[in-house]
Amino acid sequence: MLNWKAMLKQTGVLMTILGLSMIPALLISCLYGEKDAMKGFFLSILPMVGLGIPLIFFAKTNFDHLKVRDGIAAVSLSWLLAPLLGSLPYVFSGEIPHFVHAVFESASGFTTTGATILDHPEELPHGLLFWRAFTQWLGGIGICVFTITLLPALGINTYKLFKSETGIPMFSKFSPRLSDGAKILFALYVGLTLFAFGLFWISGMGPFSAVLHGLSTISTGGFSNSASAVLGSMSLGSLAALTLFMLIAGIDITLLYLLLKGNWRELLRDGELRLYGILIGLSGILLTINLWMKTSYTFPAALGHGFFQTISAISTTGYISTDLLAWPTLSKLVLFFLMFIGGCSASVGGGLKVIRVLILLKLIKRGLTLRLHPRAVVPVKLGGKVVSADTVSAITSFSVLYFLLFFLGILLLSLNNLDLLTTSGAVAACLNNVGPLAQYASTDISFTAFSDVSLLLLTFYMLLGRLEIYMLILLLTKQFWNPDK
Amino acid sequence: MIISSFNHKIIMKVTGAIMTLLGIAMVPPLFIAVADGENNLVFAFLLSMVPCLGIGLFLMIRSKPESTMLKIRDGYLIASATWILVSLIGALPYVFSGVMPNMINAFFESVSGFTATGATVIDDLSAMPKALLFWRAFCHWLGGMGILVLAISLLPALGIGGYKLASAEAPGPTMEKMSGKMADSAKILYLIYVFFTLLEVALLYLGGMNLFDATLHTFSSISTSGLSNYSDGIAHFNSLYLELIIAVFSILGSINFVLYYHLIWRRWREFFADAELRAFLLILAGAIFVIMLNLKLSGTISAWGESLRFAIFQSTSFISTSGCSITDYTLWPSFSQMILLCLMFIGGCSASTSGSLKVVRFLILLKLARRGLYRFLHPNAVVPIKLGSKTIPSDTVVKVNGFTILFFTIFLLTALVVSFDNYDLITTLSASAAMLTNTGAGLSLLGPGDTFNIFSVFTRLFLSFVMIAGRLELFTFLLLFTPAFWKNT
Repeated sequence: MLNWKAMLKQTGVLMTILGLSMIPALLISCLYGEKDAMKGFFLSILPMVGLGIPLIFFAKTNFDHLKVRDGIAAVSLSWLLAPLLGSLPYVFSGEIPHFVHAVFESASGFTTTGATILDHPEELPHGLLFWRAFTQWLGGIGICVFTITLLPALGINTYKLFKSETGIPMFSKFSPRLSDGAKILFALYVGLTLFAFGLFWISGMGPFSAVLHGLSTISTGGFSNSASAVLGSMSLGSLAALTLFMLIAGIDITLLYLLLKGNWRELLRDGELRLYGILIGLSGILLTINLWMKTSYTFPAALGHGFFQTISAISTTGYISTDLLAWPTLSKLVLFFLMFIGGCSASVGGGLKVIRVLILLKLIKRGLTLRLHPRAVVPVKLGGKVVSADTVSAITSFSVLYFLLFFLGILLLSLNNLDLLTTSGAVAACLNNVGPLAQYASTDISFTAFSDVSLLLLTFYMLLGRLEIYMLILLLTKQFWNPDK
Repeated sequence: MIISSFNHKIIMKVTGAIMTLLGIAMVPPLFIAVADGENNLVFAFLLSMVPCLGIGLFLMIRSKPESTMLKIRDGYLIASATWILVSLIGALPYVFSGVMPNMINAFFESVSGFTATGATVIDDLSAMPKALLFWRAFCHWLGGMGILVLAISLLPALGIGGYKLASAEAPGPTMEKMSGKMADSAKILYLIYVFFTLLEVALLYLGGMNLFDATLHTFSSISTSGLSNYSDGIAHFNSLYLELIIAVFSILGSINFVLYYHLIWRRWREFFADAELRAFLLILAGAIFVIMLNLKLSGTISAWGESLRFAIFQSTSFISTSGCSITDYTLWPSFSQMILLCLMFIGGCSASTSGSLKVVRFLILLKLARRGLYRFLHPNAVVPIKLGSKTIPSDTVVKVNGFTILFFTIFLLTALVVSFDNYDLITTLSASAAMLTNTGAGLSLLGPGDTFNIFSVFTRLFLSFVMIAGRLELFTFLLLFTPAFWKNT
């Protein structure tokens, strides 16, 4: 049996936190005198806090007895609820009156995807624009807590296996109390956001725009207040600053902590980070050359756009610096590969994660060796340490499932009968949590073209990608609900 | 020094034998050329045949291997070298006759033949002389036979290939059980291939095709290459009967040939008990059903019967990796096109003439994904992967994994190379899939009647090697490009 009381309490906590976190957005809409937005936030905050606080107090439970299944249920519940609750201001303010559209927008925020249902996001009131970016930032924190503290406690992530000696204390079991490690990470996340905000402001963005982009860059979200996340009108300095912070956001956050402590050597020895760097370097150069030769860009423009899009893709942020549809096929294809690779483990980026790709590549090499020497025992190694067969098997089944789901998503979505490129671009955008980049590299059709059912499917795919697939799929299995059978 | 680690004498002998065989295989098209009075073709075939036979016989007689022991690396080298060699020799008649003066084009066409891919770079088929059309189709048939030899005799000995998987699982047909000597039992399977060929020629002939067309279409369907000597393909005949015959024999060509051994002894139950065969038929039936629904309900095709007809033919054509067509499926709804693409990646059964991943690997992958979910919930559980009632050993699962990862990596890398030609993404990706899975047809610009001529010469050359890699189950071919392979150990 699941611990239902714990679930109720979790719901209460979530409602209260989300309700309270709408207050800054409310203040901003007061500041700009936006009546509809104010109404929307009031109508959302009051019931959420009003219901949430009593739930916390009435549902008394002992968190020490939580099992793996309870952890999974709690996490999944939070991630399913947050998009619903977060969509309320959009609906109540009347800005996105259609509920499914509002949920899509909200889920795209919390999962740091950045896909938008709005054709002209710049027309939203300031309060809602802030809320949109803030959901991404909150989602980013949620992911940090999820990957770094919860997943290892559940005993699944590759993360714990390789990086347990980075000096950051970890949760040893599922516990509601914040450990020192989580506090450090939280401080790091907030610090980075403030730093990004400052740099964006200096680089020439307006203060409000700097805040928005700060929130959605650090979380690799990709929401923007300019049309369809195309940042073409920004100054060169701003684009450079965005590139820098997208790059940072795709890196394992615990490695950033090492960097703060000045431990350079440890940082450079990290195989995943090295591959991340190599991929960015090679793809950036390839894109630069391709763009320079096949388009009318000057060399500096090709270099700038090439690296901006490379980093935007691999960190799964999804910002767009220019019209991508006109780009040569090679560049687009490279961008698509990069989004599927995604950021480093324990970063807020989406996709498969660099560490899995690294292990898959090593498996190919091992496969070749095994054909030549069938009886040889060749372990897969990472950073000088042998990766256990269980971990390798977990990674391969994850990757298989990832691509099966990708194909399945395209199949289901293709029932809308939009062309194949639009369809697969939309699925890639949501599953990898990339958002606009995947969409607008493949099509000029916005998400409004999809039916409500399709939008719900895409919302589900955003959550799938964000929660490393297993969490949500498990909820759909019989074994989860009837473990004894 | 490097060469010494290979059993080069036996490699020479095999090479000689293959060249001799190929020389003999040029006799029928030579006769056709003589009968048609096409002098330059007679000359072209003679010019290709004579040196081929001469060198082949010389090599066969002169090399006397001390031992017939084949080491693993000898096997890989022989398999890869054979496919490259026969493709080179097979290209000669196209070049010498002056029909395809571009050597790369001739090589592509020849590789497409011997790998039973069925892709073409010939824009105007009606201008092709009959003898060359026959040679083109005959290459496919020989390729299909070669694949069976590879899958049934060579690859199992090297420990790759789907066949071993199937045999580990199937209750019946291991080679030992089939007959005392492996060579004998393998021979039976090749006879089955020949028997199917004769049967199909007869059935197509009865359906109104002339003998020449019947032979050519038989060659292409039983080898699952899907080539036609008309630009509009099978649609040229507009006959339901002929379409069904071709579909049925494409299916027969994509079933594990070892299973036919049961049929000879009328062990129907064992035949249909094969987990891979059942999955194959189930996937095919499912695909036909949903495509039919999609075609009818989307209003693409107004009649149910017509929808079913197109659904049957195109699904069969893609899962068997034939890639032939009776209608322009690139105009179909996205959903149906996507189904066809998925079928292409699954492919037929192991130890058949079809290409791609193979159903047995697909099944194991599905089970692996499911096990991943289960182990997520029960981290300490030991869950074996089962196919039918038998457990698949874990090192086989590891191999399937390795194969699949490599398969998709090559797919993506090929797409990257193709993308230099700057066609749209769907064309680029489907070109890569069409080559690697040996289907020979794709989506967008690679639909029915389209050719690979749109790509640059460099891309065509690269794609030729991708076809060979796909046909030789990747590892066989790619190992040749690793330094470790050439190191003397």
